[in-house]
Amino acid sequence: MKFVHFADCHIGGWRIKELQDCNIEAFRRTISRCKEINVDFIVISGDLFNNALPGIDKLKTVTKEFYELKKLKIPIYFIAGSHDYSPSGKTMLDVLEEAGLIINVSKAKIADGKLRLLFTQDEKTGAKLTGLLGKRGMLDKQYYEILDREYLEKEEGKKIFLFHTAIDEYKPKSLSFINCTPLSFFPRNFFYYAGGHVHIVMKRFEEGYGVFCYPGALFPNSFDELEEWKCGGFYIVEDEKISYEQIKIKEVVSLIFSADGKTPEEVNHEIIHSIKNLDVNDKIITIRVRGKLSSGKIIEIKIPEIAAKAHSFGAYSVLYNTSKLVTEVIEEIKIETRDGHNFDGSIIKEHLTEEKVHNDMDERMLAHILINSLCKEKEEGETKTIYEERIKHELKDTLPELFEL
Amino acid sequence: MKEKKGQILSGEVGKIVIRQKSNLPLELGELLITESVNNQKILLQVYDLMYGSLLSQQSIELISGLHLEEENQDVTFLDPNLKNYTLALAKPLIAIKNNSIAKSKSLPPFFSFVYGIMDNELSFLLNEKNPLYVGNLRSGSSVLNIPVNLNGEKVLAEHILIPATTGRGKSNLTSCILWECTKKDYCGILVLDPHDEYYGRDSIGLKNHPNRDKVKYYSLNLYPGGISLKISIKQIMPHHFNGVVDWSDAQKEALNAYYRRYKENWISAIVKEPPINNFQEGTLMVIKRRIMSLLHINITSSGELKANGVFEFDSGEHTITSIISSLENSNTVIIDTSALGSSEELLVGSILANNIFKRYKHNRLIGVLQQMPVISIIIEEAPRVLGKDILEKGQNIFSTIAREGRKFKVGLIAITQMPSLIPKEILANMNTKIILGIELASERQAIIESASQDLSTDSRNIANLDKGEAIVTSNFTKFAVPIKIPLFKEHIEEDMLKNDSSKNNSRNDQNKEEAMLSFDGIKIQE
Repeated sequence: MKFVHFADCHIGGWRIKELQDCNIEAFRRTISRCKEINVDFIVISGDLFNNALPGIDKLKTVTKEFYELKKLKIPIYFIAGSHDYSPSGKTMLDVLEEAGLIINVSKAKIADGKLRLLFTQDEKTGAKLTGLLGKRGMLDKQYYEILDREYLEKEEGKKIFLFHTAIDEYKPKSLSFINCTPLSFFPRNFFYYAGGHVHIVMKRFEEGYGVFCYPGALFPNSFDELEEWKCGGFYIVEDEKISYEQIKIKEVVSLIFSADGKTPEEVNHEIIHSIKNLDVNDKIITIRVRGKLSSGKIIEIKIPEIAAKAHSFGAYSVLYNTSKLVTEVIEEIKIETRDGHNFDGSIIKEHLTEEKVHNDMDERMLAHILINSLCKEKEEGETKTIYEERIKHELKDTLPELFEL
Repeated sequence: MKEKKGQILSGEVGKIVIRQKSNLPLELGELLITESVNNQKILLQVYDLMYGSLLSQQSIELISGLHLEEENQDVTFLDPNLKNYTLALAKPLIAIKNNSIAKSKSLPPFFSFVYGIMDNELSFLLNEKNPLYVGNLRSGSSVLNIPVNLNGEKVLAEHILIPATTGRGKSNLTSCILWECTKKDYCGILVLDPHDEYYGRDSIGLKNHPNRDKVKYYSLNLYPGGISLKISIKQIMPHHFNGVVDWSDAQKEALNAYYRRYKENWISAIVKEPPINNFQEGTLMVIKRRIMSLLHINITSSGELKANGVFEFDSGEHTITSIISSLENSNTVIIDTSALGSSEELLVGSILANNIFKRYKHNRLIGVLQQMPVISIIIEEAPRVLGKDILEKGQNIFSTIAREGRKFKVGLIAITQMPSLIPKEILANMNTKIILGIELASERQAIIESASQDLSTDSRNIANLDKGEAIVTSNFTKFAVPIKIPLFKEHIEEDMLKNDSSKNNSRNDQNKEEAMLSFDGIKIQE
């Protein structure tokens, strides 16, 4: 039995065109490798797409690749992930499944109040696959709580469990504050546990369970991931042998600069000087500037000029991050909270006054109303125009004064 | 109409003599209230009882002789209820005037009547900010319908001591405290559970809490919902052994030398690497042997190091961070240490306590401590780490927390049968004591001497506390409050019943119900 396990492709995730291309290229190469090594099947542990309804161009590429696999009789077993799952069922994954290109192994029946997952057997190898999808906000944990583990454990054969969740025992430091699913909620006695959701590369054997693998993203999905991982990859499982294979699309060069005690001009100069002395040709460049500027404003770090310079030296793509950069000129806003609403609240409390701005409304009240109205997310299936109209309409209802001003 | 229970006959400040009404017997610890004079009432508590009689001792003895020696003598007292009676000694606890209270600085009016406490009479006393329910107000052995709430944030930060003889309800009280704390956002509780009794693996416990998402259960012996207790050996530092292992000075120096040279790999180095110069071979052999034994380290045939216990070489890197993060998010973290040896358990506790304390010191440094919940660490058999003999050999993290923890919002809940083994200055730092029944006079004395209120007359009262009865003495209560701690199981059931209407609205149940109903994303087959 030979199969490839990957997850978290997040196709359509990047906004930058060049990185979108890298992402889709990583997917193509993975599929190509699957064909090359002649796998029996492919396992995708969630988040193939970055949302339930991906763009048509992305969908076209994915469909074409899957169709090629179908012709080669290489089945694809998958579960939905927290990004491409849809509570309303409106997900492109369903369309692909209806077309017979992929097989969702997250199927079950309810027995004695418990969720009894059913197995999908691979015709060629006899492998038995089942799994649980991932949902946003770790809501999938509720499914694990009511899972009929005994039934799954009793089943004989080579069993593979697909999951898209963070496990307490394996969560990286950056997720230490997240509520995860403990290992003890997983059924025992599976040969392979194919994980997704957490973008880490990890293989670990658990006594009484089997091998748990997280392949990470197929291509880094954020600035931090590019900086840390440089590339993505997948697992090849051949009988008892499990190996990880990287997919390198572009070389990533990560530059980190300290702005401590420097002026923006000095930082600009330092960055450009570094880029000049580096071979950036056809590479992805990440530039992180952190620390405290002695003078000037953060916007005086001339990112567009720096990026243009790097491009002129042949850089493929340039990304920057100044989230940990502050300046002495404007008083620092020191807010340490873990919740977006509180964060807003703390800033408002610190920086706005109770001065009346209109009728009986003071600055703080107005800020709260605006934040509450404007932080509403676009609903599924809602177009941008409808979404904007809805927000405007709601705002007008709440704050007619604002529209009269 | 309130019934008179007695009348004040004589006495002095702190010792008021009351004659008991014949058909309404008074009890040790009973609360009485004086009649109102100038709008002021005084709350009294009975601390001793004795007989009184208008007859001379000779006459009484004669009547007794007739009863005992001369059969068929029908001798009775004339007006027995008038001539023979019970006298109670009571101490004033507080003065109540217009729903405000103060220390009682005057005597109640001479010959005034005293009454029993009504349910609604003292409720205003016990409404606290950040309430932590510990039981109901008790008057003698009668339980009043007045819940006793402490200011949870304060009492947890300034340490709680729970002294009691075996079988008087320490575990029940701890379970109730854990249950209550899990409802609150102002605290995170870490409990090292040597008997694996709080989560409720085989019975009702914290796993049944409506906020069970806030309960993290770490165990070597996996249970659905529990998290594997694995701690990376790389997280251990030499000072974590303070109070856990008794090293000689030379051994301590050697440990520090290894740590300086090999950093996080220092324990592997002690076992595998060649000896460091300047240390005697014997010293290094002893530390190697003791560390291998404590951490269950073996060397495999291929020369690799393998640890078979809670400590591991290749996993558990983030356990400590996750636990601290859970505590900072007001969770209750239970560490099942039932499968660990005593030293191993203490080492786990020491590592966690050190990291919590370090983290909260940092939180204070960066100015975010105020927003953080108080963290309280429950340690059973506290003299193991806070005992005089242990501390004579050097300070450890628990004694540091006992002394300095409140500045950093880190507190201890120390449970012990032998409070006398804990140094006086540490006992005095425990600003709340929930005293259950204590048989040994020496142990009672240690508590009385370090109590926040004057308990000098309460020794007998403490000895007579029945299972579940307690006295709360605290810097944050106006007087030493007698309480009855509910039986954990009944408390949960009552709590559940109370919350029955909101049951469907609780986050967990609601989510679970939604999940059960829709199972969206899963193809459900009939």
